[in-house]
Amino acid sequence: MYRKQIRRRRATLVLLVVACLVLISSHFSESESGPLHTAQNGVGSALAPLQEAASRALKPARDLVNWVDETFDARGENEQLRAEVQELRADLTKAEEELSEGTERGEIAAIAETGTLAGYEFVDARVTGRSASTWDQVMTIDKGRSAGVAVNDPVITGDGLVGRVSSVSGGSARVALLTDQTTEVTAKVLGGGPVGIVGAEVGDPDDLVLELIRGDDEVKPGAELITAGIEDPDLTSLFPVGIPIGEAEQSTTGEQELRQQIHITPYADMSNIQFVSVLTGGGS
Amino acid sequence: MIFTLRIRLTVAAIVFVSVLLQLSFFSQMPLLGSVANLVPVVIVALGLLGGPLPGVIAAFFAGLLLDSALGTTLGVSSLALMSAGYLAGRWREGYDIVSSLVPPLLTGLLTAVSAAAYAAMQLMLGVDAPVSLLVLREIVVQGLLGVLLAIPVFPLIRRLLRPALVDDPLARRARASRTVLGVTS
Repeated sequence: MYRKQIRRRRATLVLLVVACLVLISSHFSESESGPLHTAQNGVGSALAPLQEAASRALKPARDLVNWVDETFDARGENEQLRAEVQELRADLTKAEEELSEGTERGEIAAIAETGTLAGYEFVDARVTGRSASTWDQVMTIDKGRSAGVAVNDPVITGDGLVGRVSSVSGGSARVALLTDQTTEVTAKVLGGGPVGIVGAEVGDPDDLVLELIRGDDEVKPGAELITAGIEDPDLTSLFPVGIPIGEAEQSTTGEQELRQQIHITPYADMSNIQFVSVLTGGGS
Repeated sequence: MIFTLRIRLTVAAIVFVSVLLQLSFFSQMPLLGSVANLVPVVIVALGLLGGPLPGVIAAFFAGLLLDSALGTTLGVSSLALMSAGYLAGRWREGYDIVSSLVPPLLTGLLTAVSAAAYAAMQLMLGVDAPVSLLVLREIVVQGLLGVLLAIPVFPLIRRLLRPALVDDPLARRARASRTVLGVTS
């Protein structure tokens, strides 16, 4: 009797492990429209209303915990912020001087003239779910195809770019954050600086990496980065030019790397996003 | 554990609610540079109370639900959670829960094992970006938060599944402590 139980248990265990391995390999090898992806999207769509309801119901509790956490953080950051205020005062004076000389003004005016976000519609959405792992920086939102959201639409907050829509269903969508390994965006340093590709550093939600592809100018700490878009008229850029991304922290050049890598702190707080805007319409 | 239809439905509901809470609540509250992960805590509790098979089956379906909701590679979360569920069940078979500290500590350890297994699988499947050493912080922090979460979660799940438990070691010890020289006080 006991041996039979053991055999049954082993068989079930082996069956489930094999099922997992088959799922992983099938999921990798099939296309986005394959049966596994379709079934996965179906389950995701069915869960979406429940996630939304749970997210709304639990918001007060979440806000309370976040408030406590932020209060502790704020105490620790007080000294740091005082020092930063002094630095920023100095920067402000410098920036005002530069503005009067028309250097920055030209760049900002150029962004405005390109009508960066003019053709886009803003669809406001609530974050209803999120991955617990830094390996998958993915979240779900409560707006989908019915609201005009499409795959690869840029997603922003008031602070700047946070990611792109990775998949969409009728009433919900999944967003791959900038800190997800699958998301990359062409960026340029504000003020005529070099252009590069910003990608994630897995495990660190406060760090992005800019790899330069054009221009060898040194990127100084504090330099601001915005989306570069694509200047070729035959190509459509996923991200319109001019969306703020983050601020350069430090640059490194490893022994095996030919070009410098610049570490970027994103403007948006990637670990605590409650609401987002999806830029729909593709600028058309 | 005696698996009647009612108990099966209860276990399914526990797994479903834990996944929903994880997605909508715990994952959206950053703590100590990571987030608390309720799902492995629940899986370990089911493994400790029901044995390896219930632990592994619950882990498989919880992982499928998580991967389906987030659009991540199907099967990865299931495998990572199954490691925690199986080990918790094996612990139950080999050792008694001699102290109320054992479930939280074991849960913390197995939550960290589950996070490490997930990280290992991601590395094996290939990563298209540089990897920070902070992924180690996530494993440690999720383990520590798992200890804290297990303090209310384990007794709650034991209470929900009490009708099905053949032998609850903590309840047996409590009964024994109330008995003096064979006379129940």
